[in-house]
Amino acid sequence: MQELKILYLYPDILELYGDYGNIQVLQYRMEKRGIKCIIDKYSIGDEQPNFLEYDIVFAGGGADNEQSILAEDLVKYKENIKEAVQNGVFFLLICGAYQLFGKYYKGVEGNIIEGLDIFPYYTEAITDRKKRCIGNIVLEVELESNKKTKVIGFENHGGQTYNSLSPFGKVLYGNGNKFGDDKEGFFLGNVIATYLHGPLLSKNPELSDYIIKYCLDRKYNQNTELKQLEDTFEQQCRTQLLEKFLKKA
Amino acid sequence: MNYIYMIILKFINILLKLAGKQGGNVLGKIAKKLNPNFLKFFKIDCPVIAVTATNGKTSTNNCIAYTLEMAGYKVISNKQGNNMETGIISTLLKNSTITGKIKADYITFEVDESYVPKIFKIFRLDTLVVLNFFRDQLDRNGEVETLILKINEFLKTYTGNLVLNNDDPNVARLGQANPQNKNIYYYSVDKYQYATKTMTDAGEGKFCPFCKTRLEYEYYQYSHIGKFKCPKCDYGNNEIYKKAENVDLKNKTFEIEGIKYNINENSIYTIYNYVAVQSIMSIYNIETEIVLKAFSQFALNNGRLEKIQIKGIPTTINLAKNPTGANVSLRLLKEDEEEKELLFVLNDNIADGFDVSWIWDINFDKLSENKVTRIITAGTRYYDIAIRIKTSGFDPNKIIPCPDLEKAVKELYKTTTKKYVIANYTALQPIRKELLKYK
Ligand SMILES: [Zn+2]
Repeated sequence: MQELKILYLYPDILELYGDYGNIQVLQYRMEKRGIKCIIDKYSIGDEQPNFLEYDIVFAGGGADNEQSILAEDLVKYKENIKEAVQNGVFFLLICGAYQLFGKYYKGVEGNIIEGLDIFPYYTEAITDRKKRCIGNIVLEVELESNKKTKVIGFENHGGQTYNSLSPFGKVLYGNGNKFGDDKEGFFLGNVIATYLHGPLLSKNPELSDYIIKYCLDRKYNQNTELKQLEDTFEQQCRTQLLEKFLKKA
Repeated sequence: MNYIYMIILKFINILLKLAGKQGGNVLGKIAKKLNPNFLKFFKIDCPVIAVTATNGKTSTNNCIAYTLEMAGYKVISNKQGNNMETGIISTLLKNSTITGKIKADYITFEVDESYVPKIFKIFRLDTLVVLNFFRDQLDRNGEVETLILKINEFLKTYTGNLVLNNDDPNVARLGQANPQNKNIYYYSVDKYQYATKTMTDAGEGKFCPFCKTRLEYEYYQYSHIGKFKCPKCDYGNNEIYKKAENVDLKNKTFEIEGIKYNINENSIYTIYNYVAVQSIMSIYNIETEIVLKAFSQFALNNGRLEKIQIKGIPTTINLAKNPTGANVSLRLLKEDEEEKELLFVLNDNIADGFDVSWIWDINFDKLSENKVTRIITAGTRYYDIAIRIKTSGFDPNKIIPCPDLEKAVKELYKTTTKKYVIANYTALQPIRKELLKYK
């Protein structure tokens, strides 16, 4: 039996917007195909994990005040994480986690939370606390060359992210990395860092399967043919929402 | 000038009444346009009580008013739940003389969490009750912590009665906002039958707000409500004013100071609200006899744990505008040993918040094991909720997405199995109407 191992970072802190749903979706889509899904959790105070042992590392978004507590903790594993990224371990980083993996996060009062500095982007909070990029968002992403797909999610962030040299997608509806941006997130084959909640994978089965296939191919050194799943609800949901949002765009 | 405004507003009120309109916020909106500080205009010489929380404001506020009315007092209250500044101004306008005088024995308000500082900076407040803080419509209100900090800031100079849920770490912390205030009353509910060792549903407040240490729980009642303590600074260890004990959900009873109260609901979260109300009644020296009677008769019948028969089929309707609300409803459904079907209505209108991610914080596990035989989904985001339930492991062939409310109700009553209906904020009254129409 094939199996994939997921490391779920700070499940008790980074859990603000139902982001755990991403793991539930991955687990669901693996188990439907007879792939065993092992989920290990790590949070402050737990024994140090070895990131290289995992196929997928996942982290979500949290409340601003808790973000700095865990930035201090995460930085202890910087070298190990860097190595895992270079080794091809898949990283799915949402919202707060997206920011933490960059150079730094500059808060409203100008305070700097050092990031892991693994990726080249950095984030600065917008000085007006009331202003946030909030709303439904639709991206066009190119997971593999010449294969474009639309990704639907929900963004809610005050931070404006600059210098994302390889964005995750082109914004068709919504804001993106900054107010009125045409680019969203950060993408590197084995890294998706994005502001999209929803949870992200719930409405984007193609994206979920991209991650699963990537991990199986890497682990078992093969070109995996994933079994098609019954996705009627997902497809109809996409049709409904794309029509609703893109009509407004 | 305000007198003239008052006459105009009174006149508009009469017109609204003639047109058969309740005019929940309309009067207040006009009043605020005429004078942004309209609240200052009212003259009040009776106690003012306010309830705020994420969940349970309407029920608790109504129960306070109901009990005080039973004690023979004239009570003015925003019972319909218009809990922002404009709703409160409207309620006062309807009950005031042209000179702004309010004739009542008590005023009791439910107030939206974000409006507490705003309103009571200019309006006198004698007793504030805070029930709980959960995550709620995050894209609209901002994060929970921001809200709590705003209320905390307001409380720094507040010296009135403060009635706080000691089992919610987000609430109990407010008792330390003003060390000069001696009128703090903590209430609590003793461990109940379904309390757990670990947190089973999504919750807030994992760290001590004072020293950032991870809080330790003896048990969880639901969400993050339970017996907690900070191992480092002892936060949570307060003297309890009123505590519900021997909670018996089956027989719908609990005890405070050895006296047994009968109520009409069987959910742990409403017990918390009742203890809050009982605390207030005790502060205002309302006789226990009256409180006992009021609690045994109080029922809100507006889609908050409302029980109705539709074509002879028992149906429970409950509002769920956030994960905790939904989890409480699902808890009830799971604790029910009979077969049942569920209708879940999910909207994403402005008042609901556009973000429906929160449905992934709802615990849909083990629905089929708990004898849920079919689920119908409706509302503007009917597919989102269908996907959510499917991913929890419930057989997708038994999920029927149905955008139209009328059709959804028709579909639901194709079988005679017992029904549960969960609806979020803007979905509640429309589906309730549809259900009653089908009756
Ligand atoms: Zn502490």
